Amino acid sequence: MIDRVLDGRALTPDSFDWRFLGLIASILSLGVLSIYSVTSVQTVTGTPIYLKQMAWIAIGCVAFVAMLVVDYHKISRLAYILYALLLVLLVIVLVAGKTSRGAQRWIPIGPFVFQPSEFAKLVLVLTLATYYTRSPRQGWMQRVVLPGLIMLPGLLLILKQPDLGSGLSYLSIYFSMLLVVGMRSKAMGTLLLFAVMLFPFAWELVWGSLHDYQRERIMTFVDPAYDTGGKGYHGLQSRIAIGSGELLGKGLHGGTQSQLKFLPEGHTDFVFAVFAEEWGFLGVLVLLGLFAGLIWLSLEIALKAKDMLGALLAAGLIAMLAFCLVINIGMTAGLFPIVGIPLPLMSYGGSSTVATMAALGLLLNIKRRRLTLFY
Amino acid sequence: MTGRDSCRGRRIVLAVFLLAGFAAVMGRLVHLQVLQAAELSVRADRQHQKAVTVEGIRGSIYDRRGKVLAMNMEVPSVFGVPASLDNPSGVARDLARVLRVRADEIEKKLRQERNFVWIARKVDPEQGRRLERLALDGIGTVMEGRRYYPKGALLSHVLGFAGMDGQGLEGIERRYDPYLRGEKRQIVLQRDALGRTVFPKGLTEQGPSAGHSVTLTIDEVIQYIAEKELDDAVTATQAKGGVVIVMEPKTGAVLAMAMSPRFDPNSVRGLSADRWRNRVVTDAYEPGSTMKIFLAAAALEEQAMKPRSLINAENGKMTIAGTVIHDHEKAKWITFAQAIERSSNVAAAKIAMVLGDECLFRYLRAFGFGERTEIDLPGEAAGLVKEPREWGRRTLASVAMGQEIGVTALQLASAVSAVANGGWLMRPYVVSEVRDGHGQLVAQVTPQVRRRPITAETSRTLGTILEGAVTAGTGSKAAVAGYRVAGKTGTAQKIDPETGAYSPALSVASFVGYVPADDPRLTIVAIVDEPRGEAWGGTVAAPIFRRVAEQALTYLGISSQEPMKVALAAHTEIGSGIGPGIRPEIRMVP
Repeated sequence: MIDRVLDGRALTPDSFDWRFLGLIASILSLGVLSIYSVTSVQTVTGTPIYLKQMAWIAIGCVAFVAMLVVDYHKISRLAYILYALLLVLLVIVLVAGKTSRGAQRWIPIGPFVFQPSEFAKLVLVLTLATYYTRSPRQGWMQRVVLPGLIMLPGLLLILKQPDLGSGLSYLSIYFSMLLVVGMRSKAMGTLLLFAVMLFPFAWELVWGSLHDYQRERIMTFVDPAYDTGGKGYHGLQSRIAIGSGELLGKGLHGGTQSQLKFLPEGHTDFVFAVFAEEWGFLGVLVLLGLFAGLIWLSLEIALKAKDMLGALLAAGLIAMLAFCLVINIGMTAGLFPIVGIPLPLMSYGGSSTVATMAALGLLLNIKRRRLTLFY
Repeated sequence: MTGRDSCRGRRIVLAVFLLAGFAAVMGRLVHLQVLQAAELSVRADRQHQKAVTVEGIRGSIYDRRGKVLAMNMEVPSVFGVPASLDNPSGVARDLARVLRVRADEIEKKLRQERNFVWIARKVDPEQGRRLERLALDGIGTVMEGRRYYPKGALLSHVLGFAGMDGQGLEGIERRYDPYLRGEKRQIVLQRDALGRTVFPKGLTEQGPSAGHSVTLTIDEVIQYIAEKELDDAVTATQAKGGVVIVMEPKTGAVLAMAMSPRFDPNSVRGLSADRWRNRVVTDAYEPGSTMKIFLAAAALEEQAMKPRSLINAENGKMTIAGTVIHDHEKAKWITFAQAIERSSNVAAAKIAMVLGDECLFRYLRAFGFGERTEIDLPGEAAGLVKEPREWGRRTLASVAMGQEIGVTALQLASAVSAVANGGWLMRPYVVSEVRDGHGQLVAQVTPQVRRRPITAETSRTLGTILEGAVTAGTGSKAAVAGYRVAGKTGTAQKIDPETGAYSPALSVASFVGYVPADDPRLTIVAIVDEPRGEAWGGTVAAPIFRRVAEQALTYLGISSQEPMKVALAAHTEIGSGIGPGIRPEIRMVP
C-alpha cells in the first residue's frame, strides 16, 4: 500500500537536490534571524516569535517531505477535491473567521490560526495544472473562460475577506498558467502576461493619478490594516529602513528603524526591510542571490519536466513564488503600493511558511520524477 | 512548432519576465541603498535621535597674576525620561527625598508627555552621588558646570555673571562669552516610533569641551585695595556710592575697577539690573573741575597760555550770560598754573573764551570725550559732548569747568592717562589674553594707541601744573609721601531731580591723577557719589587716591624717589619672598 502511494520509489539521499535544499535552508535561516532581531526588543509574553517561526518551519518540513514523496500525479488527482475543500474553508473564514485589524482571514484552531488564503495559491496551481492536463483542447472557451470560472469563486472569497495581496497572487497564478499553457492567440497571451507583470506599474500609474483621500478610501476599503498611521507612513518607514542600511548595514539588533518600531510589521510583511536595514546592500545581494538561485533551479525543473502536468505545475509554482517575492520586495522598497503579501520563506506566519514549503516540496517532486517513464 | 515546444517556449517567456521583475526590484534596491542611502540615513537619524543640548564647560577668568576670579564647578544635573517610567509617583518620592524638594512637583514633571525633562539643575555633588547609587529607572544625571566666583563680590561689576545654562549675561562673562562658552555638548537619546525615549541604551555624550580661559589686566590685590578704600570712604561720608579706577597710563590696561556698592555674582537672583550695571562704563556724569585738566591741555597746546600767563580772576566773581560764576578762593591776578592749581572757575571761563567753542570742543573730542573708549566691556556709554552749534551762551564757560558735559569715569581715566603718557591716548582694556582648554594662546591684547591729542612737551608742562595742584592746590590730600603726584580735584554739583537745578547739597566729589608724576605708572580716578558733610573732591576723593596709590605702589614695587624707602622695600622683599640662596644686590642710593 505504502509502495503504491510512494510510487515504488524509495526516498534516498539522491532523491534530494542538495543545492535546492541548501538554498531553502539558507533563506529560512535568514528569515528566522531577522524575525529574532526585530522581535527581541518587544516585550512579548509567552514563546518568542522566532521560536514559533521555527516550529512552523518544522511543520513546513513535514509538508515539504509529504509533497515530495507522493507522486505529483497522485496529488493531481486530488486537485478538485482540494479545491472544493479550499472553497469550504474560505466560506468558513467568511462566516466564522477571526477578524484582525478589519480583515477576516483566519480560522482559529486551538492556539493557532490558520489562513486558508495562503494555501489557496498552491491549490489553484494544482487545480489549473490538473485542468489543463485533462482537457488539452485548444480554444478560447477551454483555455481561458472555463479555468477562469473555476478560479473565480476562490478569488471572490479571498477578496471578500478582504485580502488584496493574496487575491493578486491568486490572479497572477491564473494568468501565468494561461500563458504557459498556451492559447491560440499568442498575442493575447503575451498581452495577458504583460498585464500581470506590468500590473503593479499600471497600478502605480492609475494610483498616482488619484487624490490622496481617494487612495485612502480605496486602501482602507481594500485593506484596513494598512496606513493607519497616516498617509504613506508604512511605505516611507520601509524605504527609510532599507535606505539607511546603506552598503554594509547596521548589524544584528542595530537597525534603529526596525528596533525602535518606526518600521511596522517588521517580522511579517516588512521583514525584508528589517533584513536590508541590518545587513545592508551586500546582505540584500546575498539574499536576492539565494532567491534567484532557488527560482533558477525551479525554472530548470519547469523546463525539464517530463510531462505537461509537471511543466504546468512547476510554472504555476514559480509564478506563485516569484510574484510574492517581487511584489513583496517591491512594496517594501516603495516600488509598488503596499498590499499584504508576505515574503516567501522569510516573513513570520505559519500558513505562509507551510504553504510555501509544500510548494517547494512539490517542485522537487517534479524534478525527482522527470526520469521515470510516463505511467 | 509542436505544442510541446510552444509550451517550452512559453516557459522561457515566463522566465524572462521573472528576470525583468527581479531586475526592477534590484534596480530599486540599488537606488535606495546606494544612491539615496545617505539621505535616508539622515532621515532615519532625525526620526530616532533626539538630542538634548548641554552647555560646555565654561572657561575660567583669571587676574593678571593667574588668580582665579571665575571658575566652573562640575556638578550633576538630574534629568528624567518620563516615557520610560513605570512608576512616576514612586520615583518622584525617591527623588524628593534626596533632592529635598516636593514630591508632587517632581511627579508633575515626570508625568509630562515629553522625552526629556530637567528635574534639578546643578545640584549638590553628594545628592548626585546618592541618586546614582539609587539607580532610579528613567532618571539620569549629567555633569554640568556651575559658575563659581571664589572671591565673591570682588570685581563683580567687571566680571558680570553667567546664567543657569552657562550663558554670559553681564560684564566679561557677556563680552567674552564666545570664548568662555565651551562647545555645546549633545546628549543623544534614541526614541522609538511612539516618541518614547529608549533609555539609557542610547545615551551617549559627546564632548565635554572646555571653553577658553580669559586673563584680565586686573590685579586682584590692587582691585581689593581700591574696593576697600572706596568702601571705607563711602561709608565714612555716607555716600550713595563711588568708583575707583586704577589704570596703567602707558598701556591703557586697567588694574582695578572698583565700584560701590557691589553684588555677589554667585547669587544674583532677585537683584535688579541697577545693581550689576558697571557704572564706570555705562554711566555718564558731570565731572566738574577735573575737566579743567583738558581745558589747560588745550590752552597749552594751542600756546594760548603759558604756565606764567596772568589771568584776571575778577576777585572770584564773574557774570556770564546772566549767571554768576564764583571761585572758592578770591584773587585778582593769578597765573595760568595757579588757576588750575586753585581750580578757579572765573579763570577757566576766561581761558575757554580765549580758545573759543570750536577749539575747546575739538580738544575734548581728541581726549576721547563723547565717544566710546572701545574698552572690552559691554554696555559702554559715549557720554555727551554737545556740538558747538548746539551750545548756548553760557555753555563755553560751563564746559570749561566741567558742566553741561557728560563723561564716564573710564573716559576720564583714559584722558588723564593720555596726559600722563606724553600725550598718547591709549585704548583702555581689561582682558590681556585668551587661552584655549590646553593653555594655548588664542588671543592676546596689545596696547593700542587711539590718537595723540597733545605733544609730549604740553604733557610735561601740564604735569608740572598738576603736581602743583597736589603740592600747593586743592589736591593736597592726594599727596603720597616719597612720590610725586600729579592730579586734579573736582567737585560737581548734581542736578536735583526734583527741582531740575543744581543742588547745593548733592555733589560728586572726584580726584583724578597719576603717580609718579615724572614716570607715571598708575592713573587713579576716584569718584564718590553724593557724599555728605565736607563733600569736596579734595576732602573726600583725594584721600582715596592717596591710600590706593600708597598701597598699590608698594605692592607693585614701584620705587620711591626717597632713597631710604628703596632700601626698605628691597629688604622687605628678601624677607618675605626670595629664598636664601638668591641674594639680590642691594644698592644704597646715595
